[in-house]
Amino acid sequence: MTLLSVKDLRVTFDTEAGRVEAVRGVSFSLGRERLGIVGESGSGKTMTGRSVLRLIRPPGRIEATEMVFDGTDLMAASEREMRALRGQRIAMVMQDPKYSLNPVMKVGAQLTEGLRLRDGMSAKAARGKAIEALEAVQIRGPERVMEAYPHELSGGMGQRVMIAMMLIPNPDLLIADEPTSALDVTVQAEVLSILDGLVRDRGMGLIFISHDLRLVARFCDRVLVMYKGRVVEELEAKNLMQAKHPYTQGLLNCLPRIGGPRAPLPGLDRAAEWAE
Amino acid sequence: MAGMTEWLRDPSPASRTQARLGQSYLAWLRMRRNPLAMVGLFIILVLLFVAAFAPWVATHDPLAQNLSQRLLPPGTAGHWLGTDDFGRDIWSRIAYGSRITLYIVTLVAVTAPVLGLLIGTVAGYFGGLTDQVLMRITDIFLAFPRLILALALVAVLGPGIENAVLAIALTAWPPYARVARAETLTVRTSDYIAAVRLQGAGSGRIIWGHVMPMCLPSVIIRVTLDMAGVILIAAGLGFLGLGVQPPTPEWGLMISSGRKFLFEQWWVATMPGLAIFIVSLGFNLLGDGLRDVLDPRSSGK
Amino acid sequence: MALIEVENLSVHYGIKGQLVRAVEGVSLRVDARESYGLVGESGSGKSTILRAICGLAPMTAGEIRIDGQPVPTPRGRAFSRRVQMVFQDPYASLHPRHTLDRTLSEPLAIHGIGGSDARVVKALEDVGLPANFRFRYPHQLSGGQRQRVAIARALMLEPEILLLDEPTSALDASVQAETLNLLNRLRDERGLTFLMVSHDLAVIDHMCDRVLVMQHGRAVEELTRDQLAGAQMTTDYARTLFDASADRMLGA
Repeated sequence: MTLLSVKDLRVTFDTEAGRVEAVRGVSFSLGRERLGIVGESGSGKTMTGRSVLRLIRPPGRIEATEMVFDGTDLMAASEREMRALRGQRIAMVMQDPKYSLNPVMKVGAQLTEGLRLRDGMSAKAARGKAIEALEAVQIRGPERVMEAYPHELSGGMGQRVMIAMMLIPNPDLLIADEPTSALDVTVQAEVLSILDGLVRDRGMGLIFISHDLRLVARFCDRVLVMYKGRVVEELEAKNLMQAKHPYTQGLLNCLPRIGGPRAPLPGLDRAAEWAE
Repeated sequence: MAGMTEWLRDPSPASRTQARLGQSYLAWLRMRRNPLAMVGLFIILVLLFVAAFAPWVATHDPLAQNLSQRLLPPGTAGHWLGTDDFGRDIWSRIAYGSRITLYIVTLVAVTAPVLGLLIGTVAGYFGGLTDQVLMRITDIFLAFPRLILALALVAVLGPGIENAVLAIALTAWPPYARVARAETLTVRTSDYIAAVRLQGAGSGRIIWGHVMPMCLPSVIIRVTLDMAGVILIAAGLGFLGLGVQPPTPEWGLMISSGRKFLFEQWWVATMPGLAIFIVSLGFNLLGDGLRDVLDPRSSGK
Repeated sequence: MALIEVENLSVHYGIKGQLVRAVEGVSLRVDARESYGLVGESGSGKSTILRAICGLAPMTAGEIRIDGQPVPTPRGRAFSRRVQMVFQDPYASLHPRHTLDRTLSEPLAIHGIGGSDARVVKALEDVGLPANFRFRYPHQLSGGQRQRVAIARALMLEPEILLLDEPTSALDASVQAETLNLLNRLRDERGLTFLMVSHDLAVIDHMCDRVLVMQHGRAVEELTRDQLAGAQMTTDYARTLFDASADRMLGA
């Protein structure tokens, strides 16, 4: 069952320095599975994620032959319809909780805000749901966290709060944009396993955007590799090591390995034709 | 023309001048997108034009009195803005008065911000006792309402346009010091400052070459927004009879002398008042436009 | 005799009335021409040690010696000709309003070294940037290019010691590879001594001969490269770090 279908997505920015094409014809479809989108900076992966939610402001333009979410045409939807979708049915988790959580509101207030305003829940019911959500992300002592401000939380904790917040309305699709890149390595593993459990339990679709190919391959079912606004390869995660495209191979090989050779790391051949 | 544009847009400039001009050109293009900023710029350009070409733009001698022609309303033949109580053409007085306005504004713009920038960056960079002392001095100046302080200074120094300018400048510098200090506090923890310190640079070089350039945008924006206030204070001083003396056609002075006729011959005071309003508006709009263009945060990554 | 000696270094800050023990009693020795790594997670104090060596962080206790001599306070010109640093964030370490030419010629101007024209062009070439980048501004460069400029800048005064604070963590994987290769090449060519900080064990393994694992401001374990590659760590924390390293996560 296809949850999201995107055909020929294009995102263009008209700046005074010239025209910038961030996404140049990306197509993919997603069911209730995990899709990883991997690329370096400038590949257009973040813009692709944001386009689904139509979160791109002028001078950026989104164009697509088709962008359909569960029967709703996202390109034709009005801003009002998009607002109803965002958060409720399609949620987004971003990289750094320092910047994505409101620094002047307590965590509890932020968690219950949507419930009270959008769903008209009573404060008590909303609070109960919020605590439930925090427990779902394995935060011990959720009452204390409810009363804290974002800056008082560690990176890993903040990211878990972010995930909890996004999962309260039980969305069908979660777009996670580098959700663990700002975290310490030991914390990353923890947060990913929590995300893993939640996505599995709720049967959500997941778009996992990252620069880390190995991480994405371990976590997702399918992987899209992007370079300069285009998809250069699409493969099953388990077949990652048999990647055919030179860029994907280059990306796999250019990382240093513990115990690996001391010789210069292979780089990418940026002059190749696919690099255009 | 196309060659010039290409030269300015060259991604690899061949000299520092070309690099600087290229960046300014791009900034100009950004500003052009803002219609209100362009209106502000237009107003200022008109001001500059009128001030530069006053003898040709004016229709009469601003000081020539003609008592048979006094208090003529706007639209009278030969006096499109009317005449004042001495029969002097108001338009010509406004035109020549623009020179004085520009003079005052320019003098203040080159003195007060420079002083404020210096004090603010030094205070912010060194911190500690230097910061405390300099900021308390700034606070003292800030505590007084500007017009009162300017009045007091002019009363001490005596009337005259230079003294008026000095008085205004001495009251105008504290906000720049504050702004500069705030920017300096942000900037001084940056890695690029750490890098140049590590190279063995002295404080003077760091403040002058590294900190000040980062404070400039905020200060420049502040200057344009402040210009409106400066004009009004000069007008206020003129209005009170301090600062510029009659028969100099300074706008504030014109409003003051036209006060007596406000109800019957409203144009004598209102025309210079409109001129002040339009020029202040121009500076404000320009300042807003500059802020969008010069904000270092938007010109980051 | 070691080139860099850090003995029992402690760095304590007071932030809003609270005492932060960034570094607690850390000792290490780096020999000439060696590449030594400091690895740890955030808050481990690894970057603070580098800053303390440069004089950018206060030394609450302990001693730092370069070539047997204690470092003077303030560090002074002679120090800056021996020790230079490459910072982590390529977007923050170059002055946004200075052209590359200015950034690169400034250290020469400070020390009264002439021939800056030729030196600047050579510096750009040494780090693999075209000479016509000379009058660009940092915002016209990519992250990887900026980091190369930062490296070029650090080498303008021809120091013996290069302190590297997570030099590639803000860069893309492919750019990281190029930058690490560049650093290794420069180290070979110029006989530099590296003291490098990273949170990435794989990067440290690739670049360094010995590594000190840190946690919460304290030194946990020192390993040679062979010990690291052979997973012969003795402390729990070092092992946890090793297991969590993204490299391990794929199991490839």
